[in-house]
Amino acid sequence: MYLYIYDSFLNDKKYADLLIKIEKRLTDLGIKGKIARLSILKNMKEMITDGVKEGVETVVAIGNAQTFAKVINVVADLDVALGLIPVNNDDEIAKILGIPPKVMACDVLASRIIKRIDLGKINNYYFVNTAQIENGNVTIEYKDFKISPITEKSKITLYNFASGIANSSPVDGVLEAVITPIKSSIFGKKKIEETVLPFTKIKIGSQAEEQVAILTDEQIIMKTPAEITVAPAKLKIIVGSDRRFE
Amino acid sequence: MFSKNKAAVPSGKNIETIIGPSVKVEGDFKGEGDLVVEGIVQGSLQTKNNLKIGQNALVEANINANNAFISGKVKGNIIVKGKVEITGTGIVLGNIKAQIISIESGALIKGDLNMPVGNIAIAEPKPELKREDLKEDK
Repeated sequence: MYLYIYDSFLNDKKYADLLIKIEKRLTDLGIKGKIARLSILKNMKEMITDGVKEGVETVVAIGNAQTFAKVINVVADLDVALGLIPVNNDDEIAKILGIPPKVMACDVLASRIIKRIDLGKINNYYFVNTAQIENGNVTIEYKDFKISPITEKSKITLYNFASGIANSSPVDGVLEAVITPIKSSIFGKKKIEETVLPFTKIKIGSQAEEQVAILTDEQIIMKTPAEITVAPAKLKIIVGSDRRFE
Repeated sequence: MFSKNKAAVPSGKNIETIIGPSVKVEGDFKGEGDLVVEGIVQGSLQTKNNLKIGQNALVEANINANNAFISGKVKGNIIVKGKVEITGTGIVLGNIKAQIISIESGALIKGDLNMPVGNIAIAEPKPELKREDLKEDK
């Protein structure tokens, strides 16, 4: 049984045609299910847990990156498969998973290629792709050693899947911390060689008095000090054949 | 990368950890995969795979690796299972133990070199047989 979660912004009239097309395609493919529309009064967690009690085995989120981030944090701890239907063309998570935008995503759902992927966990919040610290004076603590940037400005990105890094995959049980120094000159910002460190658990602290913000790819802001761990094979997700990992 | 040491060197795809020139690592670093150091390391360095220390790297640590390629400065003892290659820009202040040690002209080393080769006996040269001895045999 399928449960389709429509994000609240889809109540806008401009999405009406798209939603009709999606519903029609789902009916054609024989994977129609219960529809739940999010609003200020309807809580996503309640909707999904009630659905699971009624026998839902697949939850499909229709929306954007923020929708997926919210859904992932609910379904990660449940025994259900997650499907995504992105309404935007440039959704990075959907691209990694090989899910085309809009109506075409319905065919991926119907093909049901299910993979168990890792999630990153920052304090108690799951993220699927990246968490980022812009220009923070921070220290990264591993179990037996610590790392600190020695340049004035640097960007720290924690990846579950980094497309530019060999062997980086959301199914390998490790995350990667990438430290990119930024050198400013009169010609603009200049990048020098990155630091790439795989990890399963780190702590990020700040030497500055102010807390440093950590921004997840879904625009959720966390603060230092933070503990980041990998939750291996945590999420059962429907992927497309054009996904960027094995 | 590692191009001078093909027997010991992994392909680029195997590289897992890069300590870039903009960071400092303090403590006991333990890695499973290939390791490239371009920055500062203080403590100890251990990897089950290959290690490359770049020209501008500064490593104050005891090193344990499968193979090592050193172009930077190392202050500490180096123990390697396979091959250590020190290029012309490399400086090592410490003892080196490895199966194969290669040192390029220009490298500076202050320490003992130890290659565990087992019991090698250097045989004394045999005296050449004289013609008279040969005749007697006939």
